Amino acid sequence: MSVFPVPSAFETRSNATFDAIMWALARPGMTRDLPEEGMAQIVEALIDRECAVHCANPELANVARAAGALMVALDAADHVFVEDVPLALLDQLRCGSDLHPDDGATLIACADLSGGSRVRMTGPGVDGRVELLIGGLPADFWHRRARAMRYPMGFEILLVDGARILGVPRSTVVEVL
Amino acid sequence: MAYVATRGGERAIEQSQRLFKAEMGTITPERVAEIRAAMPYLIDRVMGEASLYDEDLAALALAQTGGELYEAVLLLRAWRTTQPRIAVAEPVTQGALFTHRRISAAFKDIPGGQVLGPTLDYAHRILATEVLDGQTNSPEPVEAAAKPSPAQQPSVAAWQAENGLLSGAVSDTLTGNDIPDVTREPLLFPAKRAHTLQSLARAETGGVLALGYAAQRGYGQAHPTVNELRLAEAEVVVTHPRGTQFSAGRVKVSQAEVVSKKGEQLELGFSATLGWNEVKVIAAATLDLNSKGAPKGSATEEEFFLYHTEGVESSGFCIHFKLPHYVTFQSSLDAMRDAKAKKAAKEKSPELAE
Amino acid sequence: MTLKTLTKPWEPMSYGFLDGSAKREIRRKMIKAIAVPGCQMPYASREVPMARGWGTGGLQVSLTLVNPSMRVKVIDQGADDSVNAASIRRFIARVAGTPTTMDTLDADLIQSRHRIPEEVLREDQVLVLQVPNPEPLRPVQPNMSIARQMHADADYGRMWLQLYEQIVRSGRVMQGASYPSLVHGRHVMTPSPIPRWDVPKLHMAKHLTILSAGREKRIFAVPPFTRVEPLVFSDVPYRVEEHAELTCHRSGTRGFFMNEIPQDNGTSTFEVSDSEWGVKSIRRRDGEDVALGETWYKNGKMSS
Repeated sequence: MSVFPVPSAFETRSNATFDAIMWALARPGMTRDLPEEGMAQIVEALIDRECAVHCANPELANVARAAGALMVALDAADHVFVEDVPLALLDQLRCGSDLHPDDGATLIACADLSGGSRVRMTGPGVDGRVELLIGGLPADFWHRRARAMRYPMGFEILLVDGARILGVPRSTVVEVL
Repeated sequence: MAYVATRGGERAIEQSQRLFKAEMGTITPERVAEIRAAMPYLIDRVMGEASLYDEDLAALALAQTGGELYEAVLLLRAWRTTQPRIAVAEPVTQGALFTHRRISAAFKDIPGGQVLGPTLDYAHRILATEVLDGQTNSPEPVEAAAKPSPAQQPSVAAWQAENGLLSGAVSDTLTGNDIPDVTREPLLFPAKRAHTLQSLARAETGGVLALGYAAQRGYGQAHPTVNELRLAEAEVVVTHPRGTQFSAGRVKVSQAEVVSKKGEQLELGFSATLGWNEVKVIAAATLDLNSKGAPKGSATEEEFFLYHTEGVESSGFCIHFKLPHYVTFQSSLDAMRDAKAKKAAKEKSPELAE
Repeated sequence: MTLKTLTKPWEPMSYGFLDGSAKREIRRKMIKAIAVPGCQMPYASREVPMARGWGTGGLQVSLTLVNPSMRVKVIDQGADDSVNAASIRRFIARVAGTPTTMDTLDADLIQSRHRIPEEVLREDQVLVLQVPNPEPLRPVQPNMSIARQMHADADYGRMWLQLYEQIVRSGRVMQGASYPSLVHGRHVMTPSPIPRWDVPKLHMAKHLTILSAGREKRIFAVPPFTRVEPLVFSDVPYRVEEHAELTCHRSGTRGFFMNEIPQDNGTSTFEVSDSEWGVKSIRRRDGEDVALGETWYKNGKMSS
């Protein structure tokens, strides 16, 4: 092993992307910086032939397909990439089971992370409570989310705004103020 | 102090490895070639447990570890995980195997015939001590049979299924990447059929034998009859991106079918592995046969035998007890001493104790 | 789509040893582990060039997280220079080119077996704990499928019963290390074989803890600001090891978890288990300008 280990650009980007995702979910309510704008880097960091993906955007779907993902219907997907979230989508996401909560889906969607309605988050990763503005999501989004899940079953939400990301794990309680 | 030496750890581990290697001396390509040529059954065992078919790498692993089998298998497994997957081969069918040895204990003769093939089964196990006195021991030339047995043979279970003695195996329609792969996903229970067969195929021979033997002695529900034991070579058929199918080479395989009577039907246990390893496949097929409906926690329950025959995991855990555990030990000591003190206080003045 | 878009240039070894697919799987599982604190998530757990049971689970997480600017600290039994810690640290540095450190304050990622450092971890630090047995229910239920069902049902009655029986029999809970703890009020978790002394450090901590069992193929996590409550009865309080009054014979530091060193004359001396804390304390005593971080325990008491 005389080769000096140097990460490729792909490796560097995936590593940084996951770092942002990990901390976003570990500290809900605090946005993190992605290495670049958009969702393609998230596909690169997480998706391969072991994944079942639902993706609304055809360009991004090509990236997921190239990574080897199986493209499936919404209710069969472990990863869902959408720009806008129709409310009904929340009821179709996989929530896993009490035996296998890890079978719950990860939803990656676009949102406005600098304005919109005021929400309060509590739960693991939040120091007491945190209030922030989130826009670009349909009204009633957070109620619908809460109704669709029964902890520990549920799904994770990653909201992307340009090169910023916000994580909302199933353990986070979100109140609209 | 040398155990957790102050700032001495790195040097200590370096020197400990040198000591180990010093005993084996220089590893040459010739030595590796000699191991490969002289010990085909050891190579097979290691390749099977590593689930990596490469005789040269297996011989190298044996040379590098001085024949420490668990280490050799771990070395190959760790190398294997880093390799890209280029293609998934077509399924190997029993009828297509190039058969070297094939015997059945269930019938005197079987369609396709009994083929004794290479075995020590009927050898008198006498050490050839003359070799140590300077003589050589060369094999007598093999005399060809008047009528060579066919290279390809049907399976005995297929004949039994045709005759209504056995419900034929339901063929799995999954292909290529969709076939579950136990090296790419965790083993969960009830296990997928592919995971069970894969886990047995890469299980540690001694572990499979111990549990399979326990089942054979009576800790299992079913008494096995060896329906068919086969040593063969299988073509590894892969598909070129252009669509052409071709054989990328042959691998040695062993497989065993064992059956037992259940009501008016026979039940079948099956196992196959890379390389020629008869003990392993008979024992593994016995476990497979016994696993249906086995009581939770018994040696023939799938979860029990699949977890406990995984050689890299079991050997790794066993030797991990050599690692210092003084923090956990200290923690236990603290609880013990406190409990003892409480007891003593209570005996002294029962009314004062908490 | 061309063949070229599907292939990558050949590399003798992936950066950080693990290939892309192994890393992606661990990432996906870490996401779920963080989202359901304390819940064991199964993962494939590749073989790595170290024996199972020797930190391969922690190592896979570390190798997934590292990059060339991440400073890595590895400890075993609290010591940076213990042989297996040295071996793991050397391996990570060799395959990922990471800088290494022994100072808790300088580390971005800390991989540990059986201890949590005495200095308070910050909210930008990740603690990776090696886990031999991820199943807290194993003493009462060795069968993993049944234990999984018990977690699904939040059926922890037998766990409580076991603790109760210990109190009846011995006057106290006899659990040494690996004290079972309820995470986020839902899942009972083993904190890995850390002493009872260290469990309160996980409760509402600022740092992220990832626990990974390579041999048993399970990953779980304690995110920052998450409740980690040792299972106790309301009238029998949780008790850490009685090390508050002990003094390290080498560094003079007092009120931290100690290693007991038996002496020829039948007595014992003690040395501080967090080796780098000991080293820094000695250097400070000798007049060097060494930064000592804030500690979880002050004068032998956990500060909340």
